[in-house]
Order: sequence, then structure tokens, then C-alpha cells
Amino acid sequence: MRIIWRLLVLFGRDAGWMTGGILLASLTILANFGLMTLSGWFLASAAIAGLAGFAAQNAFNFFSPAAGVRFFATIRVLSRYVERLVTHEATFRLLATLRVWFYTKLEPLAPAALQGYRAGDLLSRIVADIDTLNLFYLRVYVPFLAAGFAALVMVGFFGLFSGPAALALAVGLAVTGLAVPMLTQRRGNAAGAEINALNAQMRMEMLDAIQGMGELLTYNAAPVLQGRVAGLNGRLIGRQAEMSAITGMGMAASGLLGNLTMLAVVMAATIKVSAGTLGAADLPLLALGSMAAFEAVAPLPSALQYLGQIRAAAVRIFELTDQQPTIAPPPSPAPEPVNFDLDLRGVKLRYEDNAAWALDGLDLHIPQGSRIGLQGSTGAGKSTLINLLLRFYDYQDGTVSFGGVDLRAFSSEAIAAYLSVISQRSYLFHTTIRDNLLLAKGDASAADLWHALEVAQLADFVRAQPLGLDTIVGEAGVRLSGGQARRVAIARAVLKDTPWLILDEPTEGLDPLTEQAFLRDLKPVLAGKTVLYITHRAAGLALMDRIYRLDSGKIT
Amino acid sequence: MSQRIDPRLMAEGRRTRGVLYFAIGLGVSAALLVILQAILLAHVVRDVAFGHANLAAVAPLLWALAGLFVLRAGLSYASEIVAFKASGGIKSYLRETLLSHILKLGPVPAADEQSADLAGTMIEGIEALEPYFSRYVPQMALVVAVPLAILALVFPVDWISGLILLGAGPLIPLFMVFVGYRAEAINQRQWQKLLLMSAHFLDVMQGLTTLKLFGRARDEIGIVARISDDYRKTTMAGLRVAFLTSAVLEFFASLAIALVAVIFGSRLLHGTIDFYPAFLVLLLAPEYFVPLRGLSTHYHARMSAIAAARRMFDVLDMPLAAAGTALLPQMSAVDIVCEDLQFGYGAGEPVLDGLSCSFQAGQITAIVGASGVGKTSLARLLLKFAAPAQGRIIINGTLDLATVAPESWWQNLAWVPQNPRLFHGSIAANIRLGNPAADDAAVREAAKRARALEFIEAQPQGFETMIGDLGQGLSGGQIQRIALARAFLKDPKLLILDEATANLDLESEALVLEAIAELAVGRTVIVIAHRMAMAERADNVLVLETGRVAAFGPPAQLRDVDGAYARLLQAYEAETSEAALCV
Repeated sequence: MRIIWRLLVLFGRDAGWMTGGILLASLTILANFGLMTLSGWFLASAAIAGLAGFAAQNAFNFFSPAAGVRFFATIRVLSRYVERLVTHEATFRLLATLRVWFYTKLEPLAPAALQGYRAGDLLSRIVADIDTLNLFYLRVYVPFLAAGFAALVMVGFFGLFSGPAALALAVGLAVTGLAVPMLTQRRGNAAGAEINALNAQMRMEMLDAIQGMGELLTYNAAPVLQGRVAGLNGRLIGRQAEMSAITGMGMAASGLLGNLTMLAVVMAATIKVSAGTLGAADLPLLALGSMAAFEAVAPLPSALQYLGQIRAAAVRIFELTDQQPTIAPPPSPAPEPVNFDLDLRGVKLRYEDNAAWALDGLDLHIPQGSRIGLQGSTGAGKSTLINLLLRFYDYQDGTVSFGGVDLRAFSSEAIAAYLSVISQRSYLFHTTIRDNLLLAKGDASAADLWHALEVAQLADFVRAQPLGLDTIVGEAGVRLSGGQARRVAIARAVLKDTPWLILDEPTEGLDPLTEQAFLRDLKPVLAGKTVLYITHRAAGLALMDRIYRLDSGKIT
Repeated sequence: MSQRIDPRLMAEGRRTRGVLYFAIGLGVSAALLVILQAILLAHVVRDVAFGHANLAAVAPLLWALAGLFVLRAGLSYASEIVAFKASGGIKSYLRETLLSHILKLGPVPAADEQSADLAGTMIEGIEALEPYFSRYVPQMALVVAVPLAILALVFPVDWISGLILLGAGPLIPLFMVFVGYRAEAINQRQWQKLLLMSAHFLDVMQGLTTLKLFGRARDEIGIVARISDDYRKTTMAGLRVAFLTSAVLEFFASLAIALVAVIFGSRLLHGTIDFYPAFLVLLLAPEYFVPLRGLSTHYHARMSAIAAARRMFDVLDMPLAAAGTALLPQMSAVDIVCEDLQFGYGAGEPVLDGLSCSFQAGQITAIVGASGVGKTSLARLLLKFAAPAQGRIIINGTLDLATVAPESWWQNLAWVPQNPRLFHGSIAANIRLGNPAADDAAVREAAKRARALEFIEAQPQGFETMIGDLGQGLSGGQIQRIALARAFLKDPKLLILDEATANLDLESEALVLEAIAELAVGRTVIVIAHRMAMAERADNVLVLETGRVAAFGPPAQLRDVDGAYARLLQAYEAETSEAALCV
């Protein structure tokens, strides 16, 4: 419940649109209710007047109810249409609010908070979670509140005619709208969880089959996998059958309850009509009204199901945004370094308490203008050193000074003004080459961009594209090879033109020929800069003045 | 497009025809009981309101109504269960057929498809068919059966209201189609936009570190807000039209009820008709529109089923290459000659263009060349994952590989690809992949010879460690060595491997090379080499340039000739000298 409350608070800004949508949704239900009750009453009254002779016929006010019927019909059509527009408007407003909120929360936490989310699919799950949260209003909030509000009005209206009929309607609506879906859901929980688990397992087997097909075939292991998939599928279908039986039972029970409520209403009304305490025309009114009333609770079973999904998504999202930043924001303004020397003494860093030290007493001095190569195998602490220098993580022990200033005085934005990083992880956004470059220097002229592309040896390629700088890269546009993507990173570094350059395994994943060409073109970019080249391999180290070896978080 | 998919889907449905029709029959009977129910209710109301009957007098009718309600609930429950039985059968059948078809197609077409997409088609795609069969198809039957039954009842009772209903009924689908066409186009465009917007958000999240490095992360807040807002405005413009479809349905349904009520009101007042038929028609009028309303909710189930089915049929329609049938004996040595091989993907340029070469029994042959010259394609042909467009591959002097049954060929070889796949299961199960019956001692021995024993035993559960539970995961070199252990356990006469040491740690690389050297002894080995160190150790080197052989021979010989091999060596030399720099 606390999570739902937090969601509501988040959504507070668009309260006007949200309330409007709920009122319109109630109005739609009530218009239909009004149409049916009035029609029933009208037919019976007209028939009674018709039977009572000429005088009664003349006395009968035909036009008001006839106009009322037309009025409700019109309201029904209009309010349904406007309701859908308003609820969707609210939904899209909420989506914008949510995204901005989430991004604003996450930005100071990145990249530390996203460490576990590197893999693309986890990140897409987060984005999908945001979309799910966004449905809270449309799929949960509106149906529940509109049903609740409309039910109050309808039960109150029934109360004007017969207390027992109103009671029957209230009980019928509550049981059909709340109790039955809740019971159904509780009974379906176990099967539902197993269906999800089986689906995930089957997905794994399918990915194994597709991505490992060559090995499966050559090792003649495909039949075994097919057998396993058939087994999983059998279990899945079994669970789904159970689930569909539960759903079917719920649907049948809802239908039955609606009908039995109508029966109870008819019985209550019949007693009063035969006792003469209720007009004969009120019986069809109540019968039709009770049928129309159940429209309100029809969407509640699916709303309840959404509620479960939304709660799960909200838990995951809040878990992420509730994290504390790994680095306390330093006091502003950012200090001015006197030079660009870097000095690390006895630095220790670990990611969690009690974990092994990722940097374990690291001493490293990099004077301004030098080119230092740092070589070490996986897990030696190379990425940790970069995380430290970029102020993504704080160190627990030792001292680090940059240009004579304690590194802790810099925020990651402030330090980024002095450092450029070229790595295999340099991200290319799915937008134009121009935008990807302008990222490094927002006010760069076209001439600046072309110069940077020339240095990075990418100008010919860009010129050959029909759209030039406006060529879109990524899935929707031109795919860049690994070497070309790395060259964009060089061009960005040229544009940013910082005194320091960090090369983080810049040739990882390139074939040796491409690697050679890349290193050759990298050479002029290094001129006049302080360079830290971090790698687990040998390639490129020839460009450096000094080479250190990093092992278990220390220089050896 | 979709017109062609529906009949094909229904053809699939025919496999469980009996069950499906039974489910539809149950659903229709449950719906038709509504009419009976309305008749009974109308009697009750007339008797009480106009016949001065009390509760006791109408009790039999009320009991009958209650019985009908229970019967209806039972029928709807049964139809739900039977409909699932039908769609479950279809799902199982399609899943099995798709998987076996993909496996028969082999790794090459599967590699062209996005593997996550393909897996999605086989999991969620097939699930999307369920509502098609269990909801949409039965609903189609209701849309026809229920209005016809109601009309059949209403016309004899009162032809005027019969005409009103008859007029409103067919008009609804007509108008919905009319508005729907436009709405569908708008929907499609909106959907594209929504995807783009989600993609942008994902893009920003993935690039967040890069944005921070350039001090631009805060600027994105405004951009995210602006894009979401733009999306809202254009989408709402589209939705104003799209929502007209449901408004049309609502309009005709409400209009018909209002018309029936007003016209009957006036006729009742003038005594030209009885209350009973008027009330019966008023009860039935909303029911007349219920199936149509249901259809419009299940319509998007149809849309997603059609989209999923289209992807499925695309895969099922990929033709299978004619596989050979000849069975090979267990071979004691494998000798391969390739004659004039031509091969390309789709309509593109040929990747292999008249390539002839030979791989001698018991020797290591390294294939070298820049990326894109056809090394991988040649390996695919040798592995029988693809067939050459022209030319032949001759085994041991006489046998054309094209005539050999693929399984029989694979029995004789082991393949270690560049990025070996570890399957869901334990490490031991992964090593046993091709030989599930192998005992523990054999698995251990294979791991030892593949230089994998040490790190496997360092795992908490040793050989029984599950691949999925490895936390950090295995390093590239460790995965390579498990894959080599598989090959050791299979003990084949022909070994085809893609040497992938380029991205390994120096230590891992040394271990992998050692293991390869031991595995190569006494077999025909074909290795796609990415480093010259590997090529230098081979008995023969095959240098490829743009789909043809540029040079062939022992490395010592090729080194001294000024040709393709010498040029490659030169290009790699820089790296070798750098390796020397680093101690």
C-alpha cells in the first residue's frame, strides 16, 4: 500500500486531468444506467397509462421521459468519447512526469547505481517498468474509482425505491467486483508464478538452441534439447490449463452473481409491488438498472491483475532510485588545478564493505605531459582506477591529488572538464553523427566537426554518406564497424581537447589489422597531452613513455 | 496481407478442429440462453406489474430463471476450458514444428535473424496465438449467431423494432471499418513513434555514463521532457480520430435502445401493442450489441496474433536445403579436397569465388586473411551448415560431401567456434554435450587435457557448478577451454576450430594454445587463425584474399616468398614487437 501511495504522490502534478478522467468514466457508467432504468420505467408507465383509458393517456407526460432517454443516450456517447481522450491525455502527461522524475533521480546515481544493469536487457526492463507504472492510472486507478463512485450513486438510487434491493445490489457489486477477482487471483498466484518461471526457462533453452545451434548440431545434442523443450512445454500447457480453468471459473462466477443479484432485486421489488408499496413501473426500472449496474465492475478483474504487475515494477524502480549516491557532492565551486600532475599514494578502494580491495595500496605518479601505459589482466584493478579518476566511486584510504588539489574536491562533472576517455564502451547515441560529436563541444562549428573527423580519419567515410554529418547511426541508420565507432570517440576527444586523455582498452575487440590502423591514427591526437593508456594486452604500448604493470590493485 | 494470414492460422487451428468447434458450440449455447432468460424475465415482470401476481405466483418462473443462470455459468466455464484445450494443442504443435524447422535450417539462417527476436517468436509469439483461438475465433461465431437469433425472435414479435435492430447491427461494423481504416493507419504511426520514444529513453539510459563524461547529463532532462510532450501532442491528435471507432459502436447501441424505448413508449400509450413484447425487445436490445462490443476488445488480440503468425510463417516458409542421405562409416582419417567452391549470401556478391584447396589427413592447416575474405564462409561449407552454390567438397578422395547425411558427417568432427556457447546446465553436462554417457573419469580427463581442470575444481561445486549460477561468469579463456574439453571427450578425426585468442589475457591465451596443440595431435585440423603465431605453428597455411586462394604451403616456405603471406606477417609484426616490450 505504501508503494501505491508513493506512486500517487508522484502523480500529484496532473491531479486535474486525473480527476476529470475519473469523473467522466463514472458519468459514462451512470449514463447507461440512466438510459436503461428510465427506458424500463417509461415503457411500463406508458403501458399502464395506455391501459387506463383516454384520460390517463392524455394526462401522461410523454415528452419528458422520451427526452430523458435521448438525453442519456447522447451523454453516454459523448462522455465515453471524451473520457477516453481525457484519460489518455492524463496517461501521456504522467509518462512524461515519470520519465523526467526517474531520469532526474538516476542521473546523480549513475553509473554506480546502474553497475548491475550493464546488460542491455536489464536496462530495457527498467524502461519497460516505467511504461508499466504509467498504466497505473489508466488500468487501475480509473476503473476502481469510477466503479466505486458510480456504485455509490446507483446503490443510493436503488435505496429510494427499496432498501433490500439496494442492499442486494451493493452486495452483488462488491462480491463480483472485489471478492471474486481477489479469490481468483489468489488461487491463480502459484500457477502464475510457475508459468513465468517455465517461460523464462523455455526462453533460455530457445536462446541456447538458436545461439548455440552449430555446437548442438555437430555434437548431435539437438534431440536432447528438443526433448527438454517438449517437456517444459508440456508442463507450461498444464499450468496454463489450470490457470484458464481458474479464470473461467471467475468469469462464470461473475456472470452468475450478476444474474442472481438481478433475481434478488426482482424478488424484493415483487414483494413491494404486490403489497402496493411500490409502483408497478418501478419493477422493470429496478430489473434493468441492476443489469446495467454491473458494467461498472466488469473491468475490475483485469485492473487487479495490473495492480500486481504495477506493484512489482514500482518495487524495482524505487529500489533503484532509493540508492544513495556513491560520492558525496563536493562543495562548489570546483577548484582550479595549478597543473595537470596526478599523484596517487597508498590508495585503497573496494566496492562493498568486507569485499576484497579492488585497489590495494596503489602508488602512481603521472606528471603533466607524460604518457603512461598501465598493463594488467582482468581483475587487476584497471577499471577501478578509471572509476576513481572519473569520480564515479570514492576511495576509502590513501590520498589522490590532481594538479595539487585533493581529488575529493572535484565532482565527476568538474573532473570531466580535464579528462577525455576513449574506450570500447564510448557510447554512440542513435542519432546523427553531428549530434554525437556536438556532445563533446556544444558550440562547435561545422569546420570544427570536420577537422575532428579528419584527425580521426573518419571524414572520408562521413563525406561518402548521402546525408553527411546528418547521417543517423545505429539500428535506424548506418551501422558503424567497431573501428569506426572507436574513431567517433577519437573525434569527440579532439573536439573536447582536454589536457588529459585516458585510453581504456581502446582497441578491444578489433581485429589486428584494424587495430594497427587505429593506433597509427591515434598517434597525432596524443601530442602535447598527458596520456594514461590502460590495457590487458601489448598492442599500442609502444606509443607510451613508461609502462607499469598493475596486479591485484597495486603497481608491481 | 492479413487476409492471407487468417486462413493459414485457421488451417493450423484445424489440427484441433473437433475441440475448437466444441468450444465454440458451448460458447454459442451459453450466449443463446440469454434469449431464453429474457423471455422468462419479461414474463415475470409482466405478471407482477400487470397481472397482479405475487412472489408465490411467479416463484416457478424465478426458479426456472435461477436454473438457467446456473446452466449458463456452467456452459461458459466449460467453453473456457475446452477453448484452452484447443489453443493449447495448437501452441504445442507450432512450438515443436518451429523448433525442429529452425534446427533443420541450420545455424546460418538463424544467425541472420536477431536471436532474441526468434526466441521471442517461439515464446511470446506463440502465446499471442492463444487469445486468437480461445477468444477471437469463438467471438466471431457469437457475432453472427447471437444477433441472428435475436432478430429471429424479435421480427415475429414486432417487425418495427426488428427493422431498427437490423439497421443498426450491420451499420456498426461498416462504420467501424470506415473509421477503423484511418484509425489503423494512425495507430501504426503512433506505435512507431512510441517505440522511437522508448528507444530514445533507453538510448539515454545506456549512454548515461558517456553523457556524464561530457558534462551533458543534466541537459537531457529537458530533452526527455520535450520528446515525451511532443509525443503526447501528436498522439492525442491521432487518438481523437481513433477513438471514433468505439464512439460509433456506442452511438448505434445507445441510439437503438433509445429509439426502441421512445417508439414503444408512444405505441404503448396508444394501446397499439402489449407491454410484454415491448419489454422483451428492450431486454434483448443491449444483448444484441454485446458480441460486437466483445469483438472490438478481442480485435487487438487478432492483430497481435496476426503479427506473430506472420513472423512464424516467415520462418516456416524458409526452404530447407536438400540434405544428403549417405551414411559415413567411422573414419580413421579425414582428407578433404575443395573444388571450385562458389558461395554467397542472398543476392550479394559471392564471398567465395572459385576457391579450390585441400586439407590433408593428420595435418594442421591454418586459414588466414583479413576479415571478410571468406574464412568463416569456408568453415561453414566444411561444416555442412551451408551448401556451395557451385563446386564440390570431396572426402577421402571419393565421397561428395553434398550426398552425405549431415548427422553422419558431424559424427566424425568436432567444432570449436570463436565464441563457444555454454548451455544452461552444469559444467559437466556442458563437457558431456556430445557424449552424455561418458563417465566422470572421462570428463575429468578431458577437462585436464583442455587445461580446464584447475579452474573448474576451484568452483564451489566443481564440475556440478551450474553455468547460470557463476555470478561474475567465466572468462573468455575459461569458456574456450570448456569447449575444448568437449572436443577432447568426443575424440573426432576432424577438428575445425576458430582460434579466438585475440581478446584473451596473455595467460589464458597460452593455456588455450597449449590445449589446442595437444588436441591437434593425430587429427586433421582446420583452424581459422587470427594471429600469426597460430599460423606459424601449422603444417600448411591457406591464405585467402577476396574469396580465392592467394597462397598455400608450409609457413616456412611462404615466409620467404614476397606474397600475400609475407604481407600479412608484416602487418602483424608491429604487435609482436610490442609484445616484446612488455615484461
